[in-house]
Amino acid sequence: MIELKNIEKYYANKGVKSYILRHVTTSIKQGEFVSIMGPSGAGKSTLLNILGMLEEATYGEYHFMGEDVTAMNERKRIELYRNHIGFVFQAYHLIDEMTVAENIEAPLLYKKIPGAERKSRIADVLDRFNMVAKKDLFPNQLSGGQQQLVGIARALVAQPSIILADEPTGNLQSAQSEQIMDLFRKLNQEENITILQVTHSEKNAQFGNRILTIEDGVIKEDVSVSK
Amino acid sequence: MFKLNLKIALRNLWKNKGITAINVGGLAIALAAFILLMMYATYETSFDKENPNYDRIYAVGIAYPEFKTNYVAAPFAKAIKQNFPEVELAGLVKGSSFELVIKNGKNTIFTNNILQADYHAAKILNIQPNGGLQKPSGDAQRLTYLSEENMRVLFPNKNDHKPEMVGFGASNSGITGIIDGSIKKNVQSNFNFDGISIGNEFGGSDNYDMNDYTIYLQVKPETDVIKLSQKITDLYRAELLKSSGSKKTIDEVKGIATFLDPLSNLHLRPKAGNNGPYKVLIALSILGVLMLVIACINFTNLSIAQAAKRAKEVGIKKVLGAYRFQLTIQFLLEIFMQCMTATILALILAELVLPSFNNLFQVKLAIWSFGNDLLLQLPLIVCIITVVAGTYPALVLAGFKPALVLKGNFSTSKQSSWLRSGLLIFQFSIAVVFIIGLFIINSQLKYMQNEDLGFTPNQVVYIKNISFFNQPVKFEPVRDKILKVPGVQSATVASFIPDGKASGINNYTANGISANIDFVDVDFDYFETLDIKLREGRFFTGDFKTDTANSAIINESAVAKYGLKNPIGKIIRGCEINYKIVGVIKDFKSQGFENSVQPTIYMIKDPCSNFKTQIMLKVDRRQMASALATLKAKWPEINPLDGEDFRYEFLDELYGKLFKKQEQLQSVFFAAAILTIFIAGLGLFAFAKYITNGRMKEIAIRKILGATDLQVLKLINTSFFVMVVIANLLSWPLAYILTKKWLKTFAYSIDIPMMPFILSTLITIVLTLFTVSLQARKAAKANPVDALKHE
Repeated sequence: MIELKNIEKYYANKGVKSYILRHVTTSIKQGEFVSIMGPSGAGKSTLLNILGMLEEATYGEYHFMGEDVTAMNERKRIELYRNHIGFVFQAYHLIDEMTVAENIEAPLLYKKIPGAERKSRIADVLDRFNMVAKKDLFPNQLSGGQQQLVGIARALVAQPSIILADEPTGNLQSAQSEQIMDLFRKLNQEENITILQVTHSEKNAQFGNRILTIEDGVIKEDVSVSK
Repeated sequence: MFKLNLKIALRNLWKNKGITAINVGGLAIALAAFILLMMYATYETSFDKENPNYDRIYAVGIAYPEFKTNYVAAPFAKAIKQNFPEVELAGLVKGSSFELVIKNGKNTIFTNNILQADYHAAKILNIQPNGGLQKPSGDAQRLTYLSEENMRVLFPNKNDHKPEMVGFGASNSGITGIIDGSIKKNVQSNFNFDGISIGNEFGGSDNYDMNDYTIYLQVKPETDVIKLSQKITDLYRAELLKSSGSKKTIDEVKGIATFLDPLSNLHLRPKAGNNGPYKVLIALSILGVLMLVIACINFTNLSIAQAAKRAKEVGIKKVLGAYRFQLTIQFLLEIFMQCMTATILALILAELVLPSFNNLFQVKLAIWSFGNDLLLQLPLIVCIITVVAGTYPALVLAGFKPALVLKGNFSTSKQSSWLRSGLLIFQFSIAVVFIIGLFIINSQLKYMQNEDLGFTPNQVVYIKNISFFNQPVKFEPVRDKILKVPGVQSATVASFIPDGKASGINNYTANGISANIDFVDVDFDYFETLDIKLREGRFFTGDFKTDTANSAIINESAVAKYGLKNPIGKIIRGCEINYKIVGVIKDFKSQGFENSVQPTIYMIKDPCSNFKTQIMLKVDRRQMASALATLKAKWPEINPLDGEDFRYEFLDELYGKLFKKQEQLQSVFFAAAILTIFIAGLGLFAFAKYITNGRMKEIAIRKILGATDLQVLKLINTSFFVMVVIANLLSWPLAYILTKKWLKTFAYSIDIPMMPFILSTLITIVLTLFTVSLQARKAAKANPVDALKHE
């Protein structure tokens, strides 16, 4: 599903290149649950941003579902956002002025899904996440864990083939954290959604089936998680 | 999607109530001002536009070497019509300068302006009496129509259009006439009258020396007016040379040209007159547009300032799959909504202010009147404002990079800060120009009110009268009787009063120089009544027999015009009389401050005279009321020929009307200056708030490092201080040029003082420091921990 070949990312400042990523080559298959780990400043988030096409690599090849991302125009990329990629953020990033239901509805609007189907999908997701009672609340009326659930629900409602999550539980307490991770594992196993998460927590990484460890921009380890 | 965006927009606007209110309120105020000024401009520029041949009508004027005038000799109209086939119609019009009393039994009206027009002129000027325009029969018949208002006073019960018999002048005068009907008054016309008298032909026996008509031409479509004008000039010169009445030499004639003044020019910028009103109108229009621009700038500035708050929303939406143009449209829609609200508010505001506006400008404008183009233009204006004020912020907002925004440590984009500062400086520059302008207008008006006029209009009572007192002997008994009234100090009669209107003009020769100068026919005590100062020689007195025969007094300007040295005793010739100059008076501003004092000759005997009818009395202030009461009671006895109706005005009030236009300008400028400062202040307030919020973290760190509150205040104020100073420096030259231009419209004006410049700078600086400090204080007082916790 994802092919990275020799990805490099650096910032040139007065002729001095400071590397964020070096020679990153890997591939991720449909249905994998990959955790990216490593110390602060190692380049985890940058790698995720590149995978999510939020940033461009300085050098290297990136194929997403067989298409060359580096040669892709903005419109095409936005099509991918609409149909294949769901984002989950550490700071949840819900739109404060929208209610829970409206936040979840937003991606469907851009996908131009008809109103009736939107309603049923939202109802479906709310039901599944046990949030029906909270659908008319605004994000600041929810706890952090609940906000992150909404964030995941929003990513999920558009039925993406991959979810990119940047420290999804970084702001959460451990109980909530575990709940989110359970959810990810379930989505991965039952719906075959590819999940890619950046995490600091060894424990969270165990929920997945593969761990990429990055240090100083280089992939140090690529191991499968044994159950 | 639209519904959701609308919801978000409303929630967002509600969340930032303060800034939204400033945005919408500022725009509403500016729009209201704009609406009013545009309505006024439209009103002023559409005089006579109802005339179906508006574009094809011209007034014929004559340009003498010294001045331009629309007064032309009557036979010239015929000559033009006969010679030039491209002229469809040529008509003659003559106003009346004196008051006419019309009576029907006990019902009396006083008309000041009965327009005389020949049938052609009536057709050209689209004069439509009720019941339709009739062609008078024969040479002698005059069809006279009075305005509906006057008609109602004279014949309260009349319902038809039948002619009625009325009396002219005092009821014992025995003069009667026929009023043929009524005519609707059109205030939005150059031809404003109490009544109109239409005849077939005027001035049949006039010659080219009698310039007392105005000629109007209606030309055929697609006539080359420049060529026609040239041909008319040639014709006029030829006619002058042919004419027996004018004894002009070829050289003199060559110095005279004619011009054609289109109907559209006549109200605001007649070629024979000053174009002050036009300039004022342009200034007002610019003012209106500028206020709108300032409000738009506020809008742009505040919208960008709000951008940081919306950045997250943009980032998320992009990641969810929104196109950039979708976001742009969303933000434009939001701004459009605010503009709409502002427009509705503006209409309400304008409606509220309209009565006082109408009162100030003496017009009757209405927003909701039928056929008002404004209501059609408004939606367009709203769209333009939306695009102008909204495009940039919408693009900035929609252009945020999600990767940057969503990292969470998004700081306000530095790229647009120079733009925002620039816009703020621009706003303040305009405000400063307005403040300086206001101060200078004030000084000029004060100067006009306090400056020595050269005569004293106070305590001078002007009595309207229609009986002629051309010979002093005739006025003698009237004066004797008037002077018996306690409190009356002197009395005189003259052909013109110094109320700012132009006097008559005639040709006089002295010292070998021939020139057209003003003349005023006076009686004894004229100069004493008006308290005019003598420079040399003497005033007219009964002691010299020659004073009623061939003595003249001239003013300083006339002395200069003719280059006379030792003018006393010199001869000045005009109207077939050799006048001996017996006195020179100091110039006095009989025509206000806009026109310089004209060379003028004063004499008692004048065969070419206009009628001496204007009686002026000097009355002791303390006895004014009783003197007026006595005069009113005794007037029939004092002035048997026109004694029935005692009508008077105070000369100082008449003269004061000259300041009316300037006072209007002052009021408008005052309002505009206050509004721009207010709007700019609102913008500044919100901008300061935004800047302060953006620097909360910096301030907190500085405080932890040991900065005092005062240092923090200084820190935030500095950049604003610099911007205001730059704005002032930029606007000084502009204000100087503009006010200089305005002052040039006066013949007598102040020198531009320094004070307004310094004052405006101080005002803006104090205002800025105050506004910014209000915000900065909050930041300085805040606990640094709160600011730093967020990260």
